[in-house]
Amino acid sequence: MTRPPIAPEMWLPLDPQTGQLGDPIVSTATRGFWAGVRGRLFRHRPAMAGLVFIVLLIFAAIFGPMMSPYSYFEQNLELSNLPPTYRPYTVTDNTLVHVNTSNLNLYEVSEKGGLTALLRPDDRDMINRQSTWVIDDREVVLDYSQRPAVLTIDGKVAQAGGLAMNNRNPFGTDQLGRDVLVRQMYGARISLLVAAAAVLANFVIGVIYGGVAGLIGGRVDAVMMRFVEIVATIPLTLYVILMMVVLQSGLLSVVLAIGTVYWVDMARVVRGQILTLKSQDYVAAARTMGASTSRILFQHLLPNAFGPILVTLTMLIPSAIFIESFMSFIGLGVTPPQASWGTLTSEAVETLRAYPHQLFFPAVAISLTMLAFNFLGDGLRDALDPRLSS
Amino acid sequence: MSSASRLPIGWLVQRVAMMLVTLLAVITLTFALMHAVPGGPFVSEKMLAPEIEAALNAKFGLDQPIWRQYLNYLGGVLTLDLGPSFKYPGVSVNSMIADGLAVTAQTGLLAIICVVAFGVPAGIVAALNRGRWPDTAAMFIASLGIAVPSYVIATVALYIFALRLGWTPAFGLDDWRGYILPVFALSGFWMSFVARLTRSSLLETMGQDYIMTARAKGLPAHTVMLRHGLRNSLIPVVTVLGPVVANLLTGSFVIEQIFALPGIGRHFVQSITNRDYTAIMGITIFYAAFLMLMILIVDLLYLWLDPRISYGDRK
Repeated sequence: MTRPPIAPEMWLPLDPQTGQLGDPIVSTATRGFWAGVRGRLFRHRPAMAGLVFIVLLIFAAIFGPMMSPYSYFEQNLELSNLPPTYRPYTVTDNTLVHVNTSNLNLYEVSEKGGLTALLRPDDRDMINRQSTWVIDDREVVLDYSQRPAVLTIDGKVAQAGGLAMNNRNPFGTDQLGRDVLVRQMYGARISLLVAAAAVLANFVIGVIYGGVAGLIGGRVDAVMMRFVEIVATIPLTLYVILMMVVLQSGLLSVVLAIGTVYWVDMARVVRGQILTLKSQDYVAAARTMGASTSRILFQHLLPNAFGPILVTLTMLIPSAIFIESFMSFIGLGVTPPQASWGTLTSEAVETLRAYPHQLFFPAVAISLTMLAFNFLGDGLRDALDPRLSS
Repeated sequence: MSSASRLPIGWLVQRVAMMLVTLLAVITLTFALMHAVPGGPFVSEKMLAPEIEAALNAKFGLDQPIWRQYLNYLGGVLTLDLGPSFKYPGVSVNSMIADGLAVTAQTGLLAIICVVAFGVPAGIVAALNRGRWPDTAAMFIASLGIAVPSYVIATVALYIFALRLGWTPAFGLDDWRGYILPVFALSGFWMSFVARLTRSSLLETMGQDYIMTARAKGLPAHTVMLRHGLRNSLIPVVTVLGPVVANLLTGSFVIEQIFALPGIGRHFVQSITNRDYTAIMGITIFYAAFLMLMILIVDLLYLWLDPRISYGDRK
């Protein structure tokens, strides 16, 4: 039986508008799995906001301390506890002063609006609770016998001016006169370093451990997973604390302690993935062709488990950053003068009554960073598995 | 099948055996770690005369070979005696734990109640109003609650409500209002987590066939969700209760520090700063044992709640 001949042009697609034979090129490039993930991720607004924030944070952490005129440990006790914004008093047309009502000091305001110098009182009458300065032939008196303290210039009560920015230290200074902005950026460095250590530990130890356990299976798997089970029973925080007791406080110890225990969850996830993947036909095919176990693991299995690995990673990063700041907050993390968001917060708690603004920056920094990583993780999870997204 | 026969004895025995192995591992690990610390427990600011140090070592049995010390300690733990504190003469680790237990247990229990009492309803409200403003608002707050660390919540709340507004005391538990901030800070993360979990789990359950059946019978949407959907969607919530307990324990370290509550967490952090090694070991072991017991209870609760689950004991 012969088939009726089909003219080649009959195979051409029809033009969708006219229904007639039109331009035969309708095929587009096939969208691969990762292209789809990227597309969905880019449309996820919170995730993109998180990503942008993280990129900015990385830049600030790397280049910020380099560009700042101050170092994170440089102290200036004369200019301690300065606010980021203040209300200046006008003494004469070209002399403005700022009054710190908590430590009753006067600071000179520079032309550019920075608080540059502590003004020493010419007379300090502690019995009547007032300090006197002579500035540009004018008598400036700060009377702190009542609260709030009152500033008089030549006998007249002075009124504070409008809100001004402290251009010398945009985030103010801490109780030792260190620049808060540079310490914040240094804290970002430590947080990101800890995150990097956690990522490295997860990839090097967690992925390989879980992969080997899942792939080899049997008794080896049982023993390896029993060990993980034992480790995972106790909260990781407790391990990190115990490690810190042994290693003594310090940045290196924090990184080591987190690196030692932070791979356990990853090992479980990878093992689960490998267990489901290893019965697939392509693994059997690779095995038949004589691929070695490590080749099967690294070339065939792990790339296919990359999605869940990535999601687990973005979940673990904020928790590692949190642990570091938590440890530093209770005094077990980095040692002074190094600044971590945890130590910055605990230092701010010491001066909470007098200078509550010092709590603001570290609290916001750690919260925004955690939020950014969480959003990115959520977005990534939704992008990798669109069925899960609501 | 009666419910009693569902109790998997074999599984239970295996679990308890595993718990004991884990506990032994924890004891060994903490013992090894605490003995790996450079310098002995009495190396401190003050130089001790060699005779005094020898006497102290003899008193606490530290002059014996290390395996002997280990066996002694193990024997002590088995008889529920965690030994004396190295820093406070005459105080035992047992009494330290007993001293702080009431405070930690109270705040912890209140925190769990808060997690369930606020987290679950928030999740239900969000799911009922999916895509509308209550959903958006609840999920926004939950995102914040998950991201903002507990110590930040605690310090900010301390500043606003205790120092600024003066509504609550800044420290201590003399007054019922003293509980509000610590419990809130302690449970913030899990309230948010449970709210999100309840919402997503409830929405997922609503896609099941039996829900469609209930709808087809003509029941109103809210009745279906609350009477038919909720029960099944609460099962995942029960599973997180184990991690909740663990997290409340570690959370108590910093919360009890900030609000100056005399709980176990504060004792633990203090013994770390004091380098009180027996106290660190003892409290760690207590935590481990307590946690494992809690996880076991949660697993049993899970079994009781969801008849579909078996722990592989039925023939």
